[in-house]
Amino acid sequence: MTQSYDAIIIGGGHNGLTCAAYLAKAGRKVLVLERRYLVGGAAVTEEKFPGFKYSVFSYVVSLLRPEVIRELELAKHGLQIVPLDAAWVPMENGDQLAMYADPTSLREEIKRHSKRDADMIPKYSQMMYQMANAVKPILGYVPPNPASPGLRGARTLADFGKHLQSLDKKTFHQLSKIMTMSADDFLAEWIETDVIRALMGISGIIGTMLGVKSPGTAYVLLHHYMGELDGAFTAWGTQKGGTGGVSDALASAAQSYGAEIRCNAPVQQVLVKNGRAVGVVLEDGEEIYAKTIASAADPYVTFRKLLDAKDLPDDLVSAIDKFKFRGSSGKVNLALDTMPKFSAMTDPAFLRGMMEICPSVDFIEQAYDDAKYGAFSKRPFADVTIPTMTDPSMAPPGKHVMSCFIQYASYDMPEYGNREQQRDAFGNAVIDTLSEFIPNLKDIILHKQVLAPWDIEQEVSLTEGNIFAGELTLDQLFFFRPAAGWADFRTPIRNYYQCGSGTHPGGGITSGPGRLGALEILRDGN
Amino acid sequence: MGNNDVVIIGAGHNSLVAAGYLAKAGRRVVVLEKSSVVGGTATTDETFPGFKISPVADTAGYLSDEVKTDLKLDSQVEIIPLDPIASSPEPDGTHLAIWRDTARTVKEIERFSPADAAKYPLFVERMTKIAGVIEGLLKLTPMDLPSVGLADIRAALGLAGPVLKLGRKNINELLRLLPTPVEDLLNEWFESDVLKGALAASAVKDVTWGPQETGTTFTFIYNWALSDTGLFRSASLVKGGIGELTKAMAETARGFGAQIRTDVEVKSIDVERGKVTGVTLANGESIQAGTVVSGASPRTTFLELLDARYLDTSFVRHVHNIKYRGSASRMHFALSGLPEFPSLAGAETDGYLRGPIQIAPSINYLQRAFDHTKYGRVASAPYLDIVIPTVADPSLAPSGKHIMSVTVKYTPYALRDGDWAAKGPEIAKLVVDTIAEYAPNFPGLIIDQMLLTPVDLETVYDLPEGNVNHGEMTLDQFFHMRPIPGYARYRTPVEGMYLCGPGCHPGGGVTGLPGQNAAREILKDAK
Repeated sequence: MTQSYDAIIIGGGHNGLTCAAYLAKAGRKVLVLERRYLVGGAAVTEEKFPGFKYSVFSYVVSLLRPEVIRELELAKHGLQIVPLDAAWVPMENGDQLAMYADPTSLREEIKRHSKRDADMIPKYSQMMYQMANAVKPILGYVPPNPASPGLRGARTLADFGKHLQSLDKKTFHQLSKIMTMSADDFLAEWIETDVIRALMGISGIIGTMLGVKSPGTAYVLLHHYMGELDGAFTAWGTQKGGTGGVSDALASAAQSYGAEIRCNAPVQQVLVKNGRAVGVVLEDGEEIYAKTIASAADPYVTFRKLLDAKDLPDDLVSAIDKFKFRGSSGKVNLALDTMPKFSAMTDPAFLRGMMEICPSVDFIEQAYDDAKYGAFSKRPFADVTIPTMTDPSMAPPGKHVMSCFIQYASYDMPEYGNREQQRDAFGNAVIDTLSEFIPNLKDIILHKQVLAPWDIEQEVSLTEGNIFAGELTLDQLFFFRPAAGWADFRTPIRNYYQCGSGTHPGGGITSGPGRLGALEILRDGN
Repeated sequence: MGNNDVVIIGAGHNSLVAAGYLAKAGRRVVVLEKSSVVGGTATTDETFPGFKISPVADTAGYLSDEVKTDLKLDSQVEIIPLDPIASSPEPDGTHLAIWRDTARTVKEIERFSPADAAKYPLFVERMTKIAGVIEGLLKLTPMDLPSVGLADIRAALGLAGPVLKLGRKNINELLRLLPTPVEDLLNEWFESDVLKGALAASAVKDVTWGPQETGTTFTFIYNWALSDTGLFRSASLVKGGIGELTKAMAETARGFGAQIRTDVEVKSIDVERGKVTGVTLANGESIQAGTVVSGASPRTTFLELLDARYLDTSFVRHVHNIKYRGSASRMHFALSGLPEFPSLAGAETDGYLRGPIQIAPSINYLQRAFDHTKYGRVASAPYLDIVIPTVADPSLAPSGKHIMSVTVKYTPYALRDGDWAAKGPEIAKLVVDTIAEYAPNFPGLIIDQMLLTPVDLETVYDLPEGNVNHGEMTLDQFFHMRPIPGYARYRTPVEGMYLCGPGCHPGGGVTGLPGQNAAREILKDAK
């Protein structure tokens, strides 16, 4: 038995650290318990091969809530986001599409593909901007139980209703559409060029086992559109020194307020006495007590692994068992001897941005169809960044690291054999597909790390490898994240809270759940 | 001719229902139908001599009881309830039938999964309650969201009863379920592929999506809410064919004083100073009326019959954006005898063959069939929905002979390669071969056959892209979004002009609801 704390946070991912920082800032004595040897969860930088540093899992930052950056003074603690300036797509016919950040170059490039689209894209952006603004206040709500909201919930619902009524009709109708349509159908109402629709459509499928033509994916476009970087919409960036730097900044902020962080401290169980959480047991048997326990783990771990089902109401157990994880993305991290050469690329400056292997809408859709019955894409979609282009410190001089986010791969792919064989087959499909567009790739690979969804689950405890700690589908948002009646960061166990991406407003490096969770804990006087 | 109050374009079932209600309320109504018979897609004809076939629609099981009573249809037509309501022969030689009687169905399911059999009665009970709430919603005139008026709230109070019956916990369940794929709903309840395939089939029968797509739980519940069986799909025939029902609707409307003219094609809807004045026919005749109601699709109505200058550009853009995407073909056979399904060996074959037969062995089978449509290809292993109406109604064919009508999915309107003229024979062969896998004697029984591709459905029945519902039944085209956002209350931007077809809320099926709702709104405006 060790000393006791005001609050224990289970999991040192970015949301756990955010929650810890807010609680410590409010004067609570806080302990963060992290299973691995370093903090960050899926937002870590690791030296996987000597001299080569990787943002092993999460690799871009765009959704981090500005109020968190401000309130926790993250810039002071080392947060430094370098914007990515272009997205570039190689096409199957050898042409390219370059989405410049600069509006004049962008317009010229789009015009080359379609005059109509050059006119429509600014209108589309304007419309998405309006919708993102219309939805933004909802990100800050604590979701009530729609069937029995209580006084405070009723007030939130009334605010919500008033907010919707205050929208002009056009925006409301667009919102109704974006909540229900497929990303590709939604985009097709604005944009005619196939490769542009493919590129824009991919934000609709990230992290979900759905295709760009699956209804419900249009909303995810909006979710990604809400990314704010210093207040600018849709700007994506990378953290200097890798994504782990974001977690380090959060950890440093938490520690500056007095929070304690212990790594290599895997929690096995939450201790419950008379319906009340009183502490945790670590895997080595150590018991640590606290008045409040908050779990930043995903809903399956939070409710089904850390607790005994008998302590929970049946309907919550069944809701969590129904909650869809279905990991669909993998990661391939490469160490390269020299710069990769894309055959379609006219200017090596594009290597500084994001390179998207999504030459057509059909290409992405076929990738989904290949994988959805329990396999991986024969020609997967890849989102490629080369962090060493903007931050050479990530690799030995002259060498490069290349990070490839891949969709799709299923959690289990039995037709390829055991887990190792599945991973190898998946990795080969990725390298083969990339090589079609980067002919010199196979010759310059020094090391490679392949992570299929199963590996992601093993490494960072994300159930079925879902990077958002649960799919972002309409039936798993807001009121329903993670379960109706339990979307307000509380649980049926008194003093046990949720603060991870499996709660509102969801996944991505947002710190939204961590902050809202902490505020609810403080509100309860804990 | 200035003696009409209302002109109704088209004599499909919704137009006839609207005509009935408006004439009953004392309006002088004239219905104008392009073809030589009334009924639209709900007709019956002797395509093959001696065989009475209902080419497009054939089930009467979704018709609203209120419409049936108000328009005195009960006394004019005989409805034949079918049982089983769905019957699935399986590739492995087994067979699952779902009956109106839950206990009998439970026994069938037991052969596939005792766990599923145990859960089925609770599933029926839960879904019936949820469907009760949706039924109320389907019968409402949609609100003009986001602005909600007092009258809307009063109308919505009708939902309070079913909502209370549902219970608080299940309200959350309803909200969560509507936007899910039907696959997820069924996986939450059941383990047997056979049962899940049989249930999922009805959810996708009238949409282009596969069962893994979001929104198919909505179509599943839509069917459940309106069906005569109290279950997930309807199963009723009209004696003599569905055409008898629309004939009866026409009779009723005439009885109330409506005039119904066939073989007259409307060329344009006439407008003066933003107000409708009547219609002009293809032969040049003009018919004046202060109210014009179109039972045609939004595409035909707004892009063909009405001059675009009466509409603003954003309205026209929304009309262009309506998704139709027909993906079903219809195929009919005249048969010299009853096909034999070895999966039914030992059972009372006739009893089983009375109801619809679904070739839908699993959710993945359905989904894989759908996958092809995304690339403009015809399913290589199609989902078939088969009815042999002559088992329950022998009067449709010469003695001892049979009719088989098949809905074939998925056969997308927009083919990526090749054209429909060439594709027809290929699909016909696919259908025959597929049925033969389950009923080997089938090919030998065929006396005659006819295929209606999505293109045929478009050309012959004015169904845009061959979609029988005048617009996909998806969540983005539901309630306040149907047919287009801001115009879901049967009114149009032109004063005095209305819509009453399945392109409006609540949508497709021989329900009579769009027609009834439209008539109610028209009468309200006249007050």
